[in-house]
Amino acid sequence: MDPLMIGIIIKIVLVLAIVSALAGFGTYLERKVLAYMQRRIGPAHVGPLGLLQIVADGIKLLTKEDIIPQNANRIIFMIAPAVTAATAFIALSAVPLFPTFTIPTSFPLIGGAIVPSTIADINIGILFMLGVMGSGLYGPLLAGMAQANKWGILGSARTAVQFLSYEVITGLSLLAPIMLVGSLSLLDFNNAQTGGVGSWILWQQPVAFILFLIAGFAETNRTPFDLLEHEAEIVSGYATEYSGMRWGMFFIGEYANMITISIMASLIFVGGYAPLGFIPGWIAIILKISFFFFLMLWVRASWPHVRPDQLMWFCWKVLMPIAVINVMITGIVVMI
Amino acid sequence: MFEQIAFYFFSVATIVLFLITAFSKNVLYAMSALAAGMVMISGFFFLLDADFLGAVQLVVYVGAVMALYAFGMMFFDATKDVKEKNASTTLVVLLGGSVALLLTLIFIAPILGANIEASYPPLEGATNPQSVGLILFTKYLIPFEVAALMLLVAMIAGIILAGKKMDISLTDIEEDIAISEEEEMILDEKDGEK
Amino acid sequence: MNEKQKYIMLDLGGTPLTPWCRFKRVVKRTFRIELFIGLWVTIREMFKTLFMGKSHTTKYPFEKMPIPPRYRAIHDMLRLLESGHYRCIGCGLCEKICISNCIAMETRYDENQRKEVSEYTINFGRCIFCGYCAEVCPELAIVHGARYETASEQRASFSLFEDMLTPIDRLKEQEEFAGYGAPTPWADKNIKKTPLAY
Repeated sequence: MDPLMIGIIIKIVLVLAIVSALAGFGTYLERKVLAYMQRRIGPAHVGPLGLLQIVADGIKLLTKEDIIPQNANRIIFMIAPAVTAATAFIALSAVPLFPTFTIPTSFPLIGGAIVPSTIADINIGILFMLGVMGSGLYGPLLAGMAQANKWGILGSARTAVQFLSYEVITGLSLLAPIMLVGSLSLLDFNNAQTGGVGSWILWQQPVAFILFLIAGFAETNRTPFDLLEHEAEIVSGYATEYSGMRWGMFFIGEYANMITISIMASLIFVGGYAPLGFIPGWIAIILKISFFFFLMLWVRASWPHVRPDQLMWFCWKVLMPIAVINVMITGIVVMI
Repeated sequence: MFEQIAFYFFSVATIVLFLITAFSKNVLYAMSALAAGMVMISGFFFLLDADFLGAVQLVVYVGAVMALYAFGMMFFDATKDVKEKNASTTLVVLLGGSVALLLTLIFIAPILGANIEASYPPLEGATNPQSVGLILFTKYLIPFEVAALMLLVAMIAGIILAGKKMDISLTDIEEDIAISEEEEMILDEKDGEK
Repeated sequence: MNEKQKYIMLDLGGTPLTPWCRFKRVVKRTFRIELFIGLWVTIREMFKTLFMGKSHTTKYPFEKMPIPPRYRAIHDMLRLLESGHYRCIGCGLCEKICISNCIAMETRYDENQRKEVSEYTINFGRCIFCGYCAEVCPELAIVHGARYETASEQRASFSLFEDMLTPIDRLKEQEEFAGYGAPTPWADKNIKKTPLAY
C-alpha cells in the first residue's frame, strides 16, 4: 500500500488514542483545579495525587449497566452519544499536530510510512472545523429528543437555540481575521504570525478574539452558558436518561471539543506554534492550549450561569451587532 | 481505490438515508436521516476536491436541519409514529407525475449536456474559495445580488412578524385585554362621554 | 460592647426604566471589570490552597474532627477507676426514662447481696439518641461516647453491655463524662460578636 496511506492510518490511531487519553485527563484536571479554587483538595487517594482516579472512573463507566428507557427511540438513543464523540475527533483531523515524520524502515509492517502533520490536508481547515463541530451538536439534540423525557426535550430545545445562535457569532468573529490573513488554512494563519508576540492577530483583532472566546464557551457547553444540562433547572438536560459508557461518550466529546477550541484559539489568535523567544514552537503551542483549557476551568469556578433569555439577548442584541461592526471596520481598513 | 470505495459508500449511504427520510413515519427518524444525508452529500464535494463547497454544505445544512428539528419538536411527539392523511388523490398523482418528469429530465440532462464546454473554466492556481468567489462575482453576480436582496426582505419580514410586542414581558400580556390601540381609544371616548 | 453597628450601604442606582438607561448600565458593568474581580478571587484562593496549605479538606477516614462532649453517639458504659468494677448499680432509671423503650435490663443479687446486671441491651434500631439515660443516671455509668461510626456487620456489635463497657485493659484511657450539656473545651475560640446588635 501507499506509504502515505499507512502513515495517515497510523496518525488517525495516534490522534484518537492521545486525544481520548487527554479528554480523560481533562476530567481529572477539571476536578483538581475546581477543588483548589474552592479551597479543597479534590481526588487525592487513588494513586499518586489521585491520578489513577481517571482509571477508576473509566472502569466504573465501562462496567455500569447501559439502560435504555422503555419508550425511547432505541436506534437514535444509541447513536446520539457516538455523534458527539465522533465529530469531536473528526474536527481534529484538519488540525496540524506534530511535524511530518517518516517511520524508519527497520520497523516491521509499517516501516517507511510517512506520517503527515495533518490527517486531512485541506486548505480550508477553519471552515471544516466549524462545520464539523457544528454537526457535533446533533448529539445532544438527538439524545434529548429520543429519550421520551421532558427534561431531555427541554435540553435539546436549548441545544437548538443556543447553538444556532452562537454558530453565527463564531463564524462572524472569525471572518475578520480571515479577511486580514486572506486564507482559510490554519497553516497560513500560523505563518502570518511568526514575528513574535507583536505579530499576533490578537492585537489587531481584540474584539474578534473576545467574541470567539465567548462563542467558543457557548459551543463547547462550558459554564457561563452550560444550559443544556443545567442541574438546577432541568435535572441533567439531554443526558438525563443516559448511563454508563454512553454517558461517558458525551463527556469525551465535550472535552475533545474543549481541546479543539483551545487549539483553534491558539492557532488563529495567539501565534500558533511559532517559536516564542527562547521557547521552541512545540512547547509554545502546548503552553497556549493549556492556558485556554485552564481558562475554561477558571471561568467555571468563578462565574455564575446565565438565564436562557439572557443568553439569547446577549447573542443577538450585543455580540451580533459588535461582530458585524467589527467585520465592516476590518473590511474598510483592509480596503484602504 | 479509496476514492471509488468512498464514492460508492457515500452514494449508497445518501440514497438509503434519503429513502428513510421519505418513507419513515417517525419524525425523529426522518429528520435524523435528512441531516445525516446532508452530511454524506458533503462527502462528494470533498471527493471532487471542492473542499470549500463541502465545508459550506456542512455548515449551512447543519444549521438548516436543526431549525427543522426545532419545528418538529414543537409539532410532534418525536417518539411516536405520525398517521398520514392523504386527502386528495389528484394531488398525489400531480406531485408523483411531476417528480417522475423531473427525474426523467435529470437523467436526460447529462446526455444533452455532453457537448457543452465550460465557458468559465476553473482558473489555474486559484484556491477553492477564490474560484468560488470569482465565479460568484462575475458570472452569477445578478442572481447572487437578487438572492441577497430576497434574504434581506425575508429577514426584515421575519423580524416584523416575530417582533410584535417584543418589548412587553409575556407575563404582562393578558389574553382578554389584547385589544388594539384604536379600540382602546374608542373605549376611552365612551368613558369620557359617561 | 454595645457599639453601633456599621452598615455599608450599597448604591445600586435603582432599576433602569428606559432602554437607554439599561444600555448605559450594561456598558458600565462591562467596563468596570466586575467579572474579572471574580476571576481574581478564585485564582487567589487556588494559590493559597496550593502553596500556603489553606485547604479546608479533612481527609475523613484518616483525619477526624474532634467531637464536642455534647455530641450524642453510641452509649458507653464506664467503670470505677479504683476497682475496675462497672459503675452500673442496676437501679433501672435509664430503662424507666427511655422514651423509645429501647433499653432492656435484668438484674439479680449476687453472692454479696449487691445488685448485679445480668442482661443489659440497647436496641439501636429504636434508640433516638435523646440522651435522657445519660442525664438520669445517678452514677454517671451510662454516658454518650464519641463512637459515631456506627456501621457494622450486625446490630448486636454495639448493643450488648460487654461491648459498651470500657475494656478493662484500657481503663486508664477512660475519659470522665463532662456532664450533660457541657460546653466544648475550645468553645471560647468559637465565640464571635453577634452580627446584628439588637
